[in-house]
Amino acid sequence: MKTDCTIQSSFRDPSGFLFYKNKQIYRQVNTCYKDDYDLLITSGLYKSLSDSKLLIPHLEADIKLAMTDAAYKVLKPELIPFISYPYEWCFSQLKDAALTTLEIQKRAVDHGMILKDSTAYNIQFVNGKPTFIDTLSFEKYNEGEPWVAYRQFCQHFLAPLSLMSYKNISLNQLFKIYIDGIPLDLASALLPLRTRLRISLLSHIHLHAKSQQYFSNKVVDHGDRKINRLSLLGLIDNLETGIRKLKWKGRNTEWADYYDDTNYSTGSFDHKKEIVSEFVSKNKPQVVWDLGANIGTFSRISSSKGIRTMSFDIDPACVENNYLECSRNNETNILPLLLDLTNPSPGIGWDHSERMSFVERGPADMVIALALIHHLAISNNVPLDKIADFFSKISEWLIIEFVPKSDSQVRRLLSSRKDIFPDYTQSHFEHHFRSCFNIITATNIKDSERTLYLMKKK
Amino acid sequence: MKYKNLILTILMLVIIFPSIAYAYLDAGTGSYILQLILAAFFGGLFAIKLFWNKIKNIFRNIFSGKKDNNIEN
Repeated sequence: MKTDCTIQSSFRDPSGFLFYKNKQIYRQVNTCYKDDYDLLITSGLYKSLSDSKLLIPHLEADIKLAMTDAAYKVLKPELIPFISYPYEWCFSQLKDAALTTLEIQKRAVDHGMILKDSTAYNIQFVNGKPTFIDTLSFEKYNEGEPWVAYRQFCQHFLAPLSLMSYKNISLNQLFKIYIDGIPLDLASALLPLRTRLRISLLSHIHLHAKSQQYFSNKVVDHGDRKINRLSLLGLIDNLETGIRKLKWKGRNTEWADYYDDTNYSTGSFDHKKEIVSEFVSKNKPQVVWDLGANIGTFSRISSSKGIRTMSFDIDPACVENNYLECSRNNETNILPLLLDLTNPSPGIGWDHSERMSFVERGPADMVIALALIHHLAISNNVPLDKIADFFSKISEWLIIEFVPKSDSQVRRLLSSRKDIFPDYTQSHFEHHFRSCFNIITATNIKDSERTLYLMKKK
Repeated sequence: MKYKNLILTILMLVIIFPSIAYAYLDAGTGSYILQLILAAFFGGLFAIKLFWNKIKNIFRNIFSGKKDNNIEN
């Protein structure tokens, strides 16, 4: 936890900001937001949303904790265990986040308020469910006024979801380039022609992009033109219908069928599970990161013990399947996320600090890296000392599987390329990892040539 | 095309609007103007949807009421 300072993700809105103080996170509500904050509470909207776990709950804290004189209130929001970003979400996570935002918008209108912004970054996954985290995003709804966050909603939700659905599942990575959502002219240009036959996509993306372009250099007065409440609800209803209709069927990606295509016997797979379970139980970590988690089979060993587990994988289909499994079973301790470990999420936005890098969000109490080392060392040419160094940055405890060259999976990786890895041996692996970790236990996996290590950072 | 008339109508409205313009707005103007048009259109559809749901509920209540009577008999 950082020392006393403001948090860089919340500087755009003059209504208030987040800050660290005494190793706690607080939210300052500024006097300029007084009327809206009071309405949020007195209208019953805060209670309605927090009771339904749609909005992060908070307690009102001592005003003396305020960072500036502009403070009206200081809130202590419930802590979010792990901050994730839309470029780390699978299709269904972004879709659920969109539908949650619209549900909140409808409830807000029912209570005489409206969302003044609707970025995907206002949603975090808490106990497995998408939860709105920005308490200061609500303002009084004056009937007749348009929804100022309409464009932002289309850029943050409808555009990426339609691109992921119709074009390519990896296009949510555009979020890393465009901090305020995917520009609608870009989305419109990339989407196939047939999306113009879908009324919601035709309206909210294609015509929207044309309209933005047409008016970009024109002077226009809002005048007396109004949007009545029914029309606003109609607009929201159409956005909701459009988003519900967007689907993505996980196609046969590289890793989606991994467990059907390994050299594990049932016995060795079960033995591996037993060893991992024993290593996890021995250390009782509070937070586990499972890297290269595939569909989360081993993540569930720790999550089933009540340990908060982040289940990372590079394959969108695996993350999608993992998330759908979590949703089906109402699992609250596991969060599947998309991550390319060879190019992990960077710090982005203003001053590189609006959205945290992957490493900044650590370290985890324990990292699990099963059947991963050969992909980093051989497929991606990362030297073993660099792998050891990186793992020591993100973990206190490490469970790591060494997969030797004689293993059929490594042989497959080397079958199409020259073996330029003379140092990829178990003894070199141990040597390099010993420079950052103490090896506590090493256990051979039954009926295989693989070894599972439990290590503690030096 | 099914939506041909709709597209033409919206485009015509988009073209007509600047004639009543007289003050400066930022680049969100296009979104604002489009929202006005779409909200009017989808608001109309939404009103029909609500009305239709009410009719369906009335019939549902009538038929479910008959069923209940049958069960009681």
